[in-house]
Amino acid sequence: MTLILQTVADGLVLGGIYALAAVGFSLIFGVLHVINLSHGVLVLLGAYLALVLSGALHIDPLLTLPLVMVVLFGVGYVYQRFLIQRTVGGTPLGSMLLTFGIALMLQNVMIWVFSPDMKNITPTYAFESFKVAGLTFDAVRVSALAASLVLLSWLALLLKFSSLGRLIRATAQQTLAAQLCGVNVRHVYALTFAVSAAFAGAAGIVIGVILPFSPADEALWTLNAFVVVVLGGVGSPAGALLGGLLLGIVNTLTAQYVGPSFPNVTMFLMLVILLLVRPHGLLGNAFSASR
Amino acid sequence: MNTAAILQVEGLSKSFRGLKAISGVSFAIAPGSITSIIGPNGAGKSTLFNLITGYLAPTAGAVRFKDRPITGMATNRIAELGIARAFQIARPFRDLSVRENVRIGALFGKAGVRDVEATTRRGMELASLMPLADRPASALTVGQLRHLEVARAIATRADLLLADEPCAGLNPTETAAMIDVLRQVRSSGVTVLLVEHDMPSVMEVSDRLLVLDAGTLIADGPPHEVAKDPKVIAAYLGTPEVLS
Amino acid sequence: MKRSFSPAPITLLVVACVALLAAGPLVLPPFYVRVGQLMLYSAGLGLAWGILGGFAGYASFGHAAFIGVGAFAAGLAENSFPTLSPLWLLPLGLLAGGGTCAILSAAVAYPILRLRGTFFAIAMLGVSHVCAELTNNVDFFQGSLGLNFPPIAPSAMEPADFFYWLYLAAGLIVLLIAWQIRRSRFGAGLLSIREDEDTARMLGVPTERYKRLAFVVSAVLTGLLGVLYAHSLGYITTDSVYRDDTNLSLIVYSLLGGMGTLFGPVIGAFLLVFITQVILARLLDFHLFATGLLLVLLVLMAPGGVLGLVRSLRPRRADIAPAE
Repeated sequence: MTLILQTVADGLVLGGIYALAAVGFSLIFGVLHVINLSHGVLVLLGAYLALVLSGALHIDPLLTLPLVMVVLFGVGYVYQRFLIQRTVGGTPLGSMLLTFGIALMLQNVMIWVFSPDMKNITPTYAFESFKVAGLTFDAVRVSALAASLVLLSWLALLLKFSSLGRLIRATAQQTLAAQLCGVNVRHVYALTFAVSAAFAGAAGIVIGVILPFSPADEALWTLNAFVVVVLGGVGSPAGALLGGLLLGIVNTLTAQYVGPSFPNVTMFLMLVILLLVRPHGLLGNAFSASR
Repeated sequence: MNTAAILQVEGLSKSFRGLKAISGVSFAIAPGSITSIIGPNGAGKSTLFNLITGYLAPTAGAVRFKDRPITGMATNRIAELGIARAFQIARPFRDLSVRENVRIGALFGKAGVRDVEATTRRGMELASLMPLADRPASALTVGQLRHLEVARAIATRADLLLADEPCAGLNPTETAAMIDVLRQVRSSGVTVLLVEHDMPSVMEVSDRLLVLDAGTLIADGPPHEVAKDPKVIAAYLGTPEVLS
Repeated sequence: MKRSFSPAPITLLVVACVALLAAGPLVLPPFYVRVGQLMLYSAGLGLAWGILGGFAGYASFGHAAFIGVGAFAAGLAENSFPTLSPLWLLPLGLLAGGGTCAILSAAVAYPILRLRGTFFAIAMLGVSHVCAELTNNVDFFQGSLGLNFPPIAPSAMEPADFFYWLYLAAGLIVLLIAWQIRRSRFGAGLLSIREDEDTARMLGVPTERYKRLAFVVSAVLTGLLGVLYAHSLGYITTDSVYRDDTNLSLIVYSLLGGMGTLFGPVIGAFLLVFITQVILARLLDFHLFATGLLLVLLVLMAPGGVLGLVRSLRPRRADIAPAE
């Protein structure tokens, strides 16, 4: 009994982190209708930046969050405005291939700069754990989860109550009407992507703290994000959270009860089946045009 | 009932949750004629077309094509039987040439693969598209694309062409060209049923007019008779142009 | 689009190229023979992919699945008959590999072809990864252990030369099949599906049947090429055949050469292999970057690929205003 509960608890902790790692991807898909295959590489960029900064400044990696997010915000804005924008509105294949190309290029750059080896960001409280209600929780994972939940809530509030959030939602729901109301759609798209990139980078830090990472992982994080979105819903932090938690639980349950090498099979199988059955996820598309 | 009629509509009705869009419409179309359905906006003309081509299932009534019931049949099955539709919003195969577009109609139309090249040519000729045969469809104007719709539909060897506002948005020259095409289609033996707003063209080219108002057929006859019908005039709130 | 070139000169050109290519192993040093193998193999794969992705417009991001399935099915079948003479091994492998791909693709086709565009692309990527993971983790498939392929080259010939000519023959067969499809009613139907599937169906094109047929043909041809590839490697593991960079390359061949054309994948494959294996041979660290950059430049500047550029450079015919 405790084993199942522990496995589920582990899955939830992992899932919260998956949710953060996927929310940026979800936003881009919902607002720009672009499948950003360079999402994973942006996540890794966050991780590597945190590695460098926490080493250079001698601070806890989670404290580098603001700086990393700002840097990735800028990178994301420029990336979208000058490259991805050219493929928006064209064939879906175009933006996928463009982002894939950028992903390959950045992956190679990361290999040059950081080497292809696995790296880790180890905080000072790395090996501590504590018990709650008979279940063991790893301190690092829990603080990573806490960071994820805080960031996800912040994004949800941003989207719902801020003027930027309103702009993004309006543009996503009825692009032409938004333009006619004077919204600079390109700017909004770039801002949305910037937000997405910032969150991807934040996720990278959180992931880097709990798992070893290397440039080759980028595809996995992109696909992970895709599964989360297809599971939980497009365009909303709530959808990302739901999808992430579900994926996390499925992951840990599969690893525990089927075999340690089977979580990936299950993930891909779920992806294919979900695409066939309900491609817009349990919560649907948060930006579907109001009729 | 005229048993030689190519299309028979009997007591057709369609309600959308209590809103009666079409009520008890009945008519028969003679083969080789051009019949136009006219009526004020919101009269139900497009709904009627959709009922005939199988996009919508009727609430009541029946549609017979060549004396064969087709009520509620799937759209592509109806296409196989010999009814073709040319849309107001043309959907050409953009990267293919005009000839290749029409050829698809000929290859997959009613009679299969016989005489594909001859049928393709005939389709293009009837739609006055021969000079543009090798142009990519993406290079055509709106008017030319309407011609392409018709050409492709004809190439399927359809016996009945349903044309959905073929002159909408066209300038007078383009409209006249389109009407000419419809005349050529009729003389090749294909029956034409169209929905149209352009009154002068409709009066000029139709053998018969069906006037729809608020879902019911209020007049049915040759243009010069229908034009004088007081019910029709009332439905249009007395537009004098109809009388010319 | 009207064919830019009339058939007879093209046929002559193709025959001349084939003759030239056939002479390859006789004059080229071994390194270039191996590069030639890769070129021909890639061209065949590109052509097979193009039947579904280029002609019908269903761009699969996961065709490596069929390379893997074909290779492993062949390997498992051949290893079950260790006493069989080499002459019979390859046909057995081809039968097993091709047959398994046929069954798998026919089964997957029904659900997966209901998806369009990006969803279809990603779903196929998912299928590729599922196959890879199952091969790796289920002991029966021996994916992590690896499979051995007994040598099949005749003793009188250099294995590298043998496989070169084998790939040339296979590539030629795939080219002929693709060519035949393209000029047939089936091919015209596929093109119309690519352009506007709903309108095509309304005009009477049996879209579902045609899509499934294109999917299975593409899968089987890919699988058969995978069997050859496995034999040329001699020993395979999951990672030698289920590769994400292969998944990507298949698309890039068509993109580079000209998406949807007959010779586009061939041109694209030859070019890309040449660039990565010859020009960048000593710059292994640069491969990912170069492929990525090429992809970005293609998407932004030349989405029609090489053949698209060629077409746009030809002088335009004078526009005749049509009599209206």
